Amino acid sequence: MTTLSVTDRFDEPAAVKTGAAMVCASGLGVRLGDRQILRDIELTIRPRTMLVLLGANGAGKSTLLGALATLTPVTGKLELFGQTVNRDAAALRARIGMIGHQPMLYRDLTARENLVFFGDLYGVAQPQARAMQLLQRVGLADRAEDAVKTFSRGMTQRVAIARALMHEPELLLADEPFSGLDLASIDKLEALLDELRHEGKAIIVAHHDIAHALRFADEVAVMRRGRMTMHKAAAQLDEQALRQEVLA
Amino acid sequence: MMRTLRQLRTLVAKDLRLEARTRQTVGLVVVMAILIVTVLGLGLGPQQLASGFAAPAVLWVAYLFAGVLCFEKTMACERHDGALAALLLAPVDRGVIYFAKLISNLILIAAIAIVVTPVALVLFGFDLSAAPGAFVVTVGVSMIGFAAIGTLFSAAVNSTGVRGGPLAMVIFPISLPLVLASTHMLIKCFRDGEPITQTALAILIAFALIYLVVSWLVFEMILAPGSE
Repeated sequence: MTTLSVTDRFDEPAAVKTGAAMVCASGLGVRLGDRQILRDIELTIRPRTMLVLLGANGAGKSTLLGALATLTPVTGKLELFGQTVNRDAAALRARIGMIGHQPMLYRDLTARENLVFFGDLYGVAQPQARAMQLLQRVGLADRAEDAVKTFSRGMTQRVAIARALMHEPELLLADEPFSGLDLASIDKLEALLDELRHEGKAIIVAHHDIAHALRFADEVAVMRRGRMTMHKAAAQLDEQALRQEVLA
Repeated sequence: MMRTLRQLRTLVAKDLRLEARTRQTVGLVVVMAILIVTVLGLGLGPQQLASGFAAPAVLWVAYLFAGVLCFEKTMACERHDGALAALLLAPVDRGVIYFAKLISNLILIAAIAIVVTPVALVLFGFDLSAAPGAFVVTVGVSMIGFAAIGTLFSAAVNSTGVRGGPLAMVIFPISLPLVLASTHMLIKCFRDGEPITQTALAILIAFALIYLVVSWLVFEMILAPGSE
């Protein structure tokens, strides 16, 4: 059984080391009002890497994703795609796709209209064709003209993924993407994320299921009370030790 | 510039498409505005209505309540299912989001006014033919200022998750200078037969512009990353 010690926290991940880091955070913190939500986050993510963030509710996983998406003001150093994030982060943000707790879609628009709308905002060439291509990919081409509000949770999540991929982001952030999905939908989503990783995207997923995380992640990080207490290659971990770290 | 205009068009088209699809705003608000006009008309009685004083004031009451409902509903679609976060993640200037919401609100209020105003005119026996242009310009300019504030505060109230009353409580007092000036100008024009002076119109335009520019600048802060 692998035991985790303080000395092997933040060790260099055994993920793909070719290519420049997509995310490089050092001493990253988030303060909202009087509360320090995140502190001292050290994180480097390279292309073709799937990092799963584990941690209890309120550990700071969603806040970290929001910070990496440049939606939350941060302290410390944050570089995305080799560039320091400054106040005008729109150009960097355009290279990020995000799947949130909520689908982040307009429920009264059809699946295709939602995708075309976001494609237009991102300046995607031929957004109609791209939307149909993505709906085909997530298995919803036949429901393209149906309003999102008529979809099941799993179908809505697939449209949300298609929305996040409309502008071909290099970095995909997913906050609890598997929650509320049935087993078939989980398998489909996992396969899709795996495909995206192989295409060269870096993917960061906030998740609760430790066994599932170990099965499909390249790297696993554990968050606790706003700190990243562990970040290792998934292959170096076993479920029991990881469970102890998460529940500590 | 072209990209900004394209994004503006996309955002406005989305709002109008949602409204056309759901008919949540215009249908409900038109009924409510007509009810306001009717109830106030009945309450004031024929003598007050004949004085020429009541019609502009009653119309403005209807516009104000209709406007607040419009602002709230057009912003509410961004709150459902976290759509606003996706919007903020897109490379769209916050100012473009503001102007798109403003244009959408103005289009919806104009649609409501087109239905409600003739009803009020008939009910009150208000003869618009004396100065229809003055009426349209005065109400139009005031409406731009009112919608500018409404769009800003609907986003602010939306970000706090509070609905209903607070929006009216904030917007009404701030809109008061515009509404009073506009009502006063219309009464003088239609009751007393005095033309609307350039000075009065310039003051109204100045008010509307100040509201517009300040709201545009503040909107960016309200929708700053992390505020949603």
